[in-house]
Amino acid sequence: MKETTQEQRIRARMQPGIISLNGFLGKDKRSISDIISDDDKQLQALSRTPIEVAERMLYFSNASFNAFDGRVTVDDIYVVETEVTRGRMNCPWAHDGFHRKYITSLTNTKNNTTVVWTALNIHLIKEHSFFEGKGSAFRLDPATLVKALF
Amino acid sequence: MFTIIIKDVTVLSAIGSLLAIIMVIAQRRLSNYGDCKIDINGKRELVIKGGNSLLSSLSDKQIFLPSACGGRGSCAACKCKVISGGGPILPTEKPLLTKAELAAGDIRLACQVKVKSDIKIEIPAGIFNIRRFNATVTEIIDYTYDTKGITFKFADGEKIDFLAGQYVQLETKPYGKVKQGVIRAYSISSKPEINSSLQLIIRYVPEGICTTWVHQHLKLGDTVSLTGPYGDFFLRDTDADIIYVAGGSGKAPIKSMLEHLAVIGCKRKMTYFFGARTTKDLYLTDEMHAFEKVFPSFEYVPVLSHSEQGDGWTGKTGFVMPYFKDAIRDPKNTEAYLCGSPGMINAVTKALIEEGIPKDKIYYDSFG
Amino acid sequence: MDISAFVLFWAAIFTSNILLTNFLGMCSYLSVSREVESSFGLGVAVVFVLTITAALNWLVYHYILVYFGIVYLQFIVFIIVIAAFVQLLELIIERYTPALYYTLGIFLPLITVNCAIFGVSLFLVIRNYNFLQSIAFGAGSGIGWLLAILMLAAIRRKLKEKMVPLGLQGVGISLIITGIMALAFVGFSGIVQIQ
Repeated sequence: MKETTQEQRIRARMQPGIISLNGFLGKDKRSISDIISDDDKQLQALSRTPIEVAERMLYFSNASFNAFDGRVTVDDIYVVETEVTRGRMNCPWAHDGFHRKYITSLTNTKNNTTVVWTALNIHLIKEHSFFEGKGSAFRLDPATLVKALF
Repeated sequence: MFTIIIKDVTVLSAIGSLLAIIMVIAQRRLSNYGDCKIDINGKRELVIKGGNSLLSSLSDKQIFLPSACGGRGSCAACKCKVISGGGPILPTEKPLLTKAELAAGDIRLACQVKVKSDIKIEIPAGIFNIRRFNATVTEIIDYTYDTKGITFKFADGEKIDFLAGQYVQLETKPYGKVKQGVIRAYSISSKPEINSSLQLIIRYVPEGICTTWVHQHLKLGDTVSLTGPYGDFFLRDTDADIIYVAGGSGKAPIKSMLEHLAVIGCKRKMTYFFGARTTKDLYLTDEMHAFEKVFPSFEYVPVLSHSEQGDGWTGKTGFVMPYFKDAIRDPKNTEAYLCGSPGMINAVTKALIEEGIPKDKIYYDSFG
Repeated sequence: MDISAFVLFWAAIFTSNILLTNFLGMCSYLSVSREVESSFGLGVAVVFVLTITAALNWLVYHYILVYFGIVYLQFIVFIIVIAAFVQLLELIIERYTPALYYTLGIFLPLITVNCAIFGVSLFLVIRNYNFLQSIAFGAGSGIGWLLAILMLAAIRRKLKEKMVPLGLQGVGISLIITGIMALAFVGFSGIVQIQ
């Protein structure tokens, strides 16, 4: 699908070195709307919505904040740890202010699945249903994510 | 036809050139005010070429008064105190000065005041100190697997004037896939008494544009640009007891404070809690313990939250909060300096307030 | 033109006021007339510059442009002569009389692009004045302009306390006042006719 001017602008901001070191798209050649709709289909097949997923992620990140950012076990089976760094970063959609910089890693001990996400990931999923392009450093595969989170 | 064109153009050019020559000579003769001195706050003296506005003369020397209109005399942001050598207040300034300022007579718009003779001015210390420095990397120390201490030496004659605890902004250069430089803030970890260089402690952040550059591309001898100092997190000059709490690379400003106190001497009771995960994350431990011999009452307490079996750790474990009680003798007369992640700051602030330390005596520099 | 320099001087002030009959130099007239003090400063600067540039441009026209037969280039030449002169004047005043610079000099850059100055230079060529007439006409026009801006500034000062409809505040009411002033000056026009 051909990209709109708006999407081209977003794509430009997703390139390496603009907002993050390696960008948001990895080696993915698909258009942004294709990436979003492909992931959306996957998510629908699992009968989850992006908002549900994002809120679950935020729940775990907040849980580890309350525990002094340390490693913490939540709801018996989730081991969560968050690393906060100084500064803020903005979203490639460029409409919604700045986001904190932290990286949360979560391990689901029941099925041994580990996922790692950033503060920006949560925003991108919640507001834009965007899980990043394949090969990107913080690409979150919807299936793995759902498997780990729920 | 051709000769007419040549003649007319020649005459016109001659008139133009003649006037231009007159202007150039006049400019040289009349606008040359020689070198003028600007005395700032009685602390620093700049020598500049006279004839330009105070605002632009200062910005040429990397002192940036706020200015929103760019020197057109309409925003009044560049007000400063001119003690002598500024001439009378101009009609262009009058509408922008308040009655009290007019009565005082020494508040002026820096964009309207021309520097034509030696001039004495006063500007807020914060603005006066913020400058841009060109510096060379002279030392890179690996503190841990992901934390480096980097020393930047300023170009000849450049000196920084900062308070222990303040930060500077580091400008990166394009590298690899990164096509434009970015600006990131780091606390100064060296003491203010060393003013011709400074040290930053920089922890590697995965996917971080600046930290990747620092950790993988910056070499000894590279030149970088720094601006600063900034920030209101600095050591207060009182007699109160002190609790320091740092996490991760939050050690930098506190290192600066302790080194500063070691120079000026300090009898205050001080306790320094450093929260880390594992023994791998500890650094500068010997240096911090060494301060226990320098100060009459100082204790360095590293606390590991995830001490592992077999790492040989015999110190304190868990979170830092439970250990505060023993360190506080008079909560009302205790100050706290915190530097680390927002989660840590929140938890520590809460614990300190519960111990009875006044909220306005808890100073912090949060990463968030 | 067979008219004495003395008569021309007075005519330039009253019967053919450069501002009120030709509406030249409106830009700075409208913007600076907010205050009497600065209006006076600007007015004096205009008088000074007009007198000198009238003389200068007369000399340039008759001894250079006519001589070389490039009269058709008068627009360009007049403009650069005015610009260069005003800037030079600013430099001189700033250097040697700082006090005068602060009251008058800061208005000089405004005058560089004032069309009244250029207009006078063109008029004296079109109407074929001699050197003395040109100086008188230049000085007269300047004083006339000073008079007009001072009157407007004075009226605007009174106007500050009055209710002016929102849409007319500022430039709107100033233009209406200028129109009424121009009508009043028509009363002088029977005395002597110079154009």
